[in-house]
Amino acid sequence: MPVMSAFRDGARRVRGAPMVLAGLFGVTLLIGLPLSYVLRGMLAAHLGVSLAADTAAAGTNYEWWQEFSAQASGLGKTFVPSIVGFGAVLDNLQGILDNLPLATAVVGVTAAWLIVWSFLTGGVIDRLARGRRTRSHGFFAACGMHFWRLLRLGALAWAAYGFLFRYVHGWIFSGILGLLTRDVTVERTAFAYRAAGYLLFGTLLIACNVVFDYARVRLVVEDRRSAIGALLAAGRFIRRHAAGVVGLYALNAIAFFLLIGLYALVAPRTPGGRLSTAAMLGIGEAYIIARLFLKLLFYASETALFQAALAHAAYTAAPAVVWPDSPAAESIANADGSPAS
Amino acid sequence: MFARFAVVIAAVVLGGTALSAQQSLSPSPDASRPPAAPVSAHSPRNASYAITVRLDPGSRTLNGEELLTWRNTSRFTASTLQFHLYYNAWRNSRSTWMRDSVSSDPSAARRPEADWAWIDVTSLRVIQRGALPADIISQAKYTAPDDGNDDDRTVMEVPLARPVGPGETVNVQIAWSSRVPRAFSRTGTIGDYYFVAQWFPKIGVLEDTGWNTHQFHAATEFFADFGTYDVRLTVPRGWVVGASGVERERRDEPDGATTTHHYVQDDVHDFAWAASPHFIERRATFADAGLPGVDIRLLLQPEHAGQADRHFAAARAALKHYGQWFGPYPYGHLTIVDPAWQSGTSGMEYPTLISAESRWLTPADENIPEGVVIHETGHQFWYGLVATNEFEHAWMDEGFSTYATARVTEQALRPTYYTKRYFGGFIPWVFRNLPVNRIIEGDRLPTYRRAASGDPQSTPTWRAFAATAGGISYGKTALWMHTLERMVGWPVQQRILATYFSRWTFRHPKPDDFFAVVNEVTGRDFTWFFDQVYRGSGVFDYSVAALRSEPNTARGYFGEGAGRRFMAAEGAPTEYVTTVVARRLGDGIFPVDVRVVLENREEIRWHWDGRDRARTFRVVKPSRASFAQVDPERVLVLDVNSTNNSASLAPRTAGAARKWSLTWLVWLQDHLLTYGFFV
Repeated sequence: MPVMSAFRDGARRVRGAPMVLAGLFGVTLLIGLPLSYVLRGMLAAHLGVSLAADTAAAGTNYEWWQEFSAQASGLGKTFVPSIVGFGAVLDNLQGILDNLPLATAVVGVTAAWLIVWSFLTGGVIDRLARGRRTRSHGFFAACGMHFWRLLRLGALAWAAYGFLFRYVHGWIFSGILGLLTRDVTVERTAFAYRAAGYLLFGTLLIACNVVFDYARVRLVVEDRRSAIGALLAAGRFIRRHAAGVVGLYALNAIAFFLLIGLYALVAPRTPGGRLSTAAMLGIGEAYIIARLFLKLLFYASETALFQAALAHAAYTAAPAVVWPDSPAAESIANADGSPAS
Repeated sequence: MFARFAVVIAAVVLGGTALSAQQSLSPSPDASRPPAAPVSAHSPRNASYAITVRLDPGSRTLNGEELLTWRNTSRFTASTLQFHLYYNAWRNSRSTWMRDSVSSDPSAARRPEADWAWIDVTSLRVIQRGALPADIISQAKYTAPDDGNDDDRTVMEVPLARPVGPGETVNVQIAWSSRVPRAFSRTGTIGDYYFVAQWFPKIGVLEDTGWNTHQFHAATEFFADFGTYDVRLTVPRGWVVGASGVERERRDEPDGATTTHHYVQDDVHDFAWAASPHFIERRATFADAGLPGVDIRLLLQPEHAGQADRHFAAARAALKHYGQWFGPYPYGHLTIVDPAWQSGTSGMEYPTLISAESRWLTPADENIPEGVVIHETGHQFWYGLVATNEFEHAWMDEGFSTYATARVTEQALRPTYYTKRYFGGFIPWVFRNLPVNRIIEGDRLPTYRRAASGDPQSTPTWRAFAATAGGISYGKTALWMHTLERMVGWPVQQRILATYFSRWTFRHPKPDDFFAVVNEVTGRDFTWFFDQVYRGSGVFDYSVAALRSEPNTARGYFGEGAGRRFMAAEGAPTEYVTTVVARRLGDGIFPVDVRVVLENREEIRWHWDGRDRARTFRVVKPSRASFAQVDPERVLVLDVNSTNNSASLAPRTAGAARKWSLTWLVWLQDHLLTYGFFV
């Protein structure tokens, strides 16, 4: 299957699974809203009944923000000016690329998110692989069936990414770049070195990401129980279809950068100014939904590419028939091919 | 060695013309602008230097010789001479500078061998009448007047065969060699960029009580007497040189590889220079009615070639406003050095020469390079001309310049915004919803807030706790100067500064000298204020602790005897009793106004001396209160928490908290999705 076809097929599959998208969006809200509520309490407590609340409500009160930050602890420390608009994206991308320590207050929620996502991945890929509705029980059955396998795969991924961030990042950005740029007196040159560092580290990161993505796909689509086996199988697949895999990843990456480029243009910079809070939130959440769509698109298109490359291209495992499927459906599923007596 | 000294002496005797042979340079003043003010009559010129120095970039060394002419302007008879040898601060990790530094930055002592520096005086001859100029370097010893650190070599003392009494003059011939550091403390080199400061043996300041020659500390700068500097710098041919003063002559040496640049400057107390083959030179002039003209020379990094106008505009704004507010800049020239990237030499001031700071990508909405240029130009006034002791009273130059920078920035520059730099600090992103204001950005309130309960400002800077020294010297001063401005009004504040400037130009004022000028000009006694902001470390924080506005009725038993009855609402329900409780949460005491604005827009105002910990104000009016404020005009800029300075009966707290927590929610969701990359 050509890369573009896989990409288009992936997009079609994601569009065909709106409940998955909605569900995942709901998960981000479920995880985020309680913390947002806690922060809301902190902000309200600091604002008290002051007139500063008026300016903070009407626009941006930078001075109040400074005072809040000066006394903030825990979650409050993450409430920094750069969370506004596109700054949020830059902050988070930089956190990954520059290997910045995660704020203690959000370590827990990040870990919870990763575990929840690991749980949901089985159901998501299963749904996208089938390209048809599996209903909630089918979805969650797949989630449960694949969870421990994906968790084992996640442990391997954790080790791989850990190695990259714990050692390789330091070697590149502190070691090699440190040596190369120590005596550089031209900032542009130093940035060029750093950009090369990002390119190198990014390539390693993406290589790792591609392998684990296809391992997840193979693990779910082929109902594999061995995480290591899935990883090796993913490696074989990538080796045999390197051009397609790379091309598809590039297409997905382009879509990602187009999205954040668009968000850079439309992201609200003055929430509560001329733009109402609702509009600000609407644009932000639309962006989040689009990010989720792209995340699913990665999985869906990779799944499509993998499935298209199988000898039994149309194969997907039949879902287990469980209640409330009809007895007739169960009979058909249990039938061994001989006519009913 | 003597031959070279002879040349130096000859140069001094001949007024610096002996070595003028080939190129004679002169500044090209704009005839249409007023000339620079004559300054020669003002400075005592009691510490003058004729220096020849050769830079060898290969070994990164300086070999120099100097003839110091020093006159004792104190009432103290000097039996020794003391010299600063600043480069020895980075000789090894046992120096006082290093000991200071490692407490906050242990990596300073782990820097590679190539970074370290030293200065060795190889010969020192004191020329006094009746005494042969013998080399007495063997009698020199290092002294540590501040901390007794025997390993510190930043102050050298030599005995005099004959004491130098008040009014007497002595000449000293000194030869030295030194290694230029990879920048420490904003002096040094990287690649073929050199910013050379604090580089020669420099005599201390003799006061009426003896030598004031502090060791070099990590948190302090410098102190020196005024004089004439006649300096010949020999550097590789083709390199561009910028230095204090004016280049009188440029001569290619017979060796075919080097060029000597001859700079002269009267009435300054230091001399610094920069050299690089890569500088792009730009020139501009400053002209403003009633102020002396200034030739501005800018040495730019090639990657900042497009930023010349921004540097010039900032320098002009500073020279104009400072000239109008404080007094004229008298030297007629100013050199701005744009430092090489990661040179560690940005944002530094020396007489008639400053180092700026810029970045490859610097949006117009960011206050770089403008802020640094304005700040360092301010130091030409507060440090260069009014030459305070930076070892002991850093706030008198850093704080004054910070205050002045904030004011010029507010008056002359377009608004700037909070800018964060991403991806190694290379990529700026401007948050145009977050304009920075004078108090936050200019007066550095957030920095002061973290240091507010640190050392009293009267603590000598070299003894100050390093973690809070900056907040106290820069931020606290700017904030209390701004507070003073709001107390007395700008016209009076301007007269204070102009009086202080004119009275103390080319002299070494102490804190009490400034306080005396404040009291004199205002005709008021501000001792209570300086006791707190200078001699104390109390924090200022006033708040509105409570605001109530209720119908003017009462509940309970009213009447007498048989007429006594219980009433649920006795009184006039059409009137409202408004009660404001103001509190002083900090130790700092400041008189403040308390204001209540009623729903009918009527305003009631009380004046509170601010002494008690709390004060209740009460008023009965036909309208209900809308909000109350303490210090409504924000005179007390030093107040560390302005959020609690007001209270509203209809606050929009819920809306604000909801809006910002939801803004944060989007950030959190994006954060989760970014980490979702891994699963």
